[in-house]
Amino acid sequence: MAKHATPLLDQLETGPWPSFVSDIKQEAAYRAKNPKGLDYQIPQDCPDDLLGVLELSYVEKETHWKHGGIVGVFGYGGGVIGRYSDQPEKFPGVAHFHTMRVAQPSGKYYHSKFLRDLCDIWDLRGSGLTNMHGSTGDIVLLGTQTPQLEEVFFELTHKMNVDLGGSGSNLRTPEACLGQSRCEYACYNTQDMCYQLTMDYQDELHRPAFPYKFKFKFDGCPNGCVCAMARSDFAVIGTWKDDIKIDQEKVKAYVGGAIKPNAGAHTNPKWGKFDIEAEVVKLCPTHCMKWDGSKLSIKTSECVRCMHCINTMPQALRIGDERGASILVGAKAPVVDGAQMGSLLVPFVSCEAPYDDVKGVIEKIWDWWMEEGKNRERVGETMKRLSFQKLLEVTEIPAAAHHVKEPRSNPYIFFKEEEVPGGWTRDLEAYRKRHQR
Amino acid sequence: MADKDVVVDFLKGKSSSKSKFYFKDFQELFPDKGPREVKKILTQLVNEEVLEFWSSGSTTMYGLKGAGKQSHAEGED
Amino acid sequence: MAFISSGYNPEKPMENRKTDIGPHKYDDYFPAVIKKNFGKWLYHEILEPGVLMHVAESGEKVYTVRVGGTRTMSITHIRELCDIADKYCGGYLRWTTRNNIEFMVTDEAQMKALRDDLNGRKFPGGSYKFPVGGTGAGISNMVHTQGWVHCHTPATDASGPVKCVMDEVFNDFKDMRLPAPVRIALACCINMCGAVHCSDIGLVGIHRKPPMIDHEWADQLCEIPLAVAACPTAAVRPTTVEYKGQKVKSVGIKEDRCMYCGNCYTMCPALPISDGEGDGIAIMVGGKVSNRISKPKFSKVVVGYIPNEPPRWPTLTKLVKHIIEVYAANANKYERLGDWAERIGWESFFKLTGLEFTHHLIDDFRDPAYYTWRQSTQFKF
Repeated sequence: MAKHATPLLDQLETGPWPSFVSDIKQEAAYRAKNPKGLDYQIPQDCPDDLLGVLELSYVEKETHWKHGGIVGVFGYGGGVIGRYSDQPEKFPGVAHFHTMRVAQPSGKYYHSKFLRDLCDIWDLRGSGLTNMHGSTGDIVLLGTQTPQLEEVFFELTHKMNVDLGGSGSNLRTPEACLGQSRCEYACYNTQDMCYQLTMDYQDELHRPAFPYKFKFKFDGCPNGCVCAMARSDFAVIGTWKDDIKIDQEKVKAYVGGAIKPNAGAHTNPKWGKFDIEAEVVKLCPTHCMKWDGSKLSIKTSECVRCMHCINTMPQALRIGDERGASILVGAKAPVVDGAQMGSLLVPFVSCEAPYDDVKGVIEKIWDWWMEEGKNRERVGETMKRLSFQKLLEVTEIPAAAHHVKEPRSNPYIFFKEEEVPGGWTRDLEAYRKRHQR
Repeated sequence: MADKDVVVDFLKGKSSSKSKFYFKDFQELFPDKGPREVKKILTQLVNEEVLEFWSSGSTTMYGLKGAGKQSHAEGED
Repeated sequence: MAFISSGYNPEKPMENRKTDIGPHKYDDYFPAVIKKNFGKWLYHEILEPGVLMHVAESGEKVYTVRVGGTRTMSITHIRELCDIADKYCGGYLRWTTRNNIEFMVTDEAQMKALRDDLNGRKFPGGSYKFPVGGTGAGISNMVHTQGWVHCHTPATDASGPVKCVMDEVFNDFKDMRLPAPVRIALACCINMCGAVHCSDIGLVGIHRKPPMIDHEWADQLCEIPLAVAACPTAAVRPTTVEYKGQKVKSVGIKEDRCMYCGNCYTMCPALPISDGEGDGIAIMVGGKVSNRISKPKFSKVVVGYIPNEPPRWPTLTKLVKHIIEVYAANANKYERLGDWAERIGWESFFKLTGLEFTHHLIDDFRDPAYYTWRQSTQFKF
């Protein structure tokens, strides 16, 4: 028998998509039964009370949570988000309901042993509810009380050898696409770069000293499956410099209909037979491809590596061999001044461990932003305020046409004094010899 | 004055109006030090249980341990 | 309840403390076929919706079965996923960026048994536990935020509207009939911790009323300078007010400057922003992250406000479904929703979808607004 009647939430149990309400109910029933005979360290009925407070929100159309500034474990400035209910008497099981972020392995591959160990800790010491995963990529343990924070952390570190993730004004938990583990498009080992940089920057991740949050994301190719250039302050996106490799026999197989185009991603019969001219050559954004009926050719110097032809004929076309990544800086969500996409800073960087060249760029950006960034200013906003030129200057990267979509359309150029012959100190007397007052 | 005392005195001096400060506020106390040096001073104070962090989730602040109004209001102390 | 110690000693927090150990290494949990063929994959094929086959240079194949997951997930549910992974995959499984779960096997018959097993499991209420799908030119799982389940500034719920939208578009999770993938995302307020601003369809919770000020409690619950500093538009200022004959310290809010972000409520529980009749959802469309064919772009607001209609959000789900159907009927193969809207022109987008164009949809927020107005005589009547 459920603790609270939830007639509105019950209507979310029907329909085909997995119901989170059914799932929370199953956890509530499991805890009520307690088959392992646990001495639950936070209220046994907290999933019931979560459903209860959520039902109240469904009636009133208002949230019942308050933020808590508690950051959690000793010495860390992130990894825990504090939450309190504003109806603690009605729902004592969730009166204090803090969240812990646990660092996920990059690419999010798991073994059931790891997950079961984690579930056991959270069964005893938390609500038994999670987010798999949070928006930044962490495993989110949803709901526990303050005395359990250190206990959970101790068990995570001692029993499972795993750490908390980031929150607040620090380096947030970095995230990578699955990269070379299972993708033929990956131009570098995204998971390794993500892992190495996460390990190298543990201090930045746990002890906040930035003006605001800072995110790394690593995409293996321009398809961008982890949305690096839209969502991260520092986006590393795989690319290559040389020719796309073409298997002409396989191209013919696509044209002849022996292989399904686009890796079989389109099933609608209305698209008809594959037409290489219409579907590949004409859709190329720079028109750098030609199909003469038996041979496909690509003018590499004109190619912008958009991935369309490779995505469409993955058995015939492959990424080139001179591989590395582009670095784009400054993406963020809209608050305050509007959303920003990452801007290209480094057109090409090789991606060999230990990634010193990438780290060199990161550290120069941090030094500048920690010095010049205002409170609560993402690095993209600092760039806007102080100019892209300034970013180039502090990262010691020479300006190139790659950095812009187009050159400026106003002539209000801020020249530096040393760029102008003779500088800005001028000889007035000499001028007056040439000009009367 | 020792670096740590500069931080503690600053926080005590402000305690009537505000108990939590952004990292940048401490940088201003040490104009000759870079951000990484200032961070070392604050980290040491946190490890000695003099300071503690406070977070809005998206940002983080530093304050004297136990100062402020919320933890008391929520019965956390 | 008896407190069970983990071994942590609160008197000496630094004793025996392990810190800065980071995540587990990414290759700790690779299935054998992944480990062996790392970096040596040749190509892949989507065999059917939700089932991928990757082929390596060695000739080895791995079959991946993808299922939709609820982001809010119980340990009972995770343990069931573990049971499935143990039974079919040697215990290995992975999650995707879009909250899907993937199981990998090397044998085609095993893949089919796994797929059928996953599709056969249902909750008592009737919903699928692990629906197979979410690939190719269809609709994958939604990424979303916490909403009323756990957030303090949401303007809508997250898991609930996501469940309703995914129910409505479920056939497209199980199919690949669309011109291109349609990525849907939901953020429960404008702070967008889910960063939905580059989605084909982005649903965003919006508040429409500035916070209330609880003068009686402001100075008791909050540090006023922190609430003032939290405001990104400098709309909050410190002030002294008369409250029940007493002069009390509090804040004032310049209402026409407020962008309803809720940051002041984060710092100060005496400034509640949530409002049942004011809050709701805006629909943004046409964003993308991929560099494929066209450059990445932001989503644009096409419906300024829909009221919250729990538990099933019928207006929202109907509009989302409608936009998808008009797109499906009119866009070219490979054309993302935003590419289609740009090709036909946004005036045609509103004509074809029948969505009402209101003044709310014209950008008036700071500098970028100007660049969205039409500086041309080229347009369609």
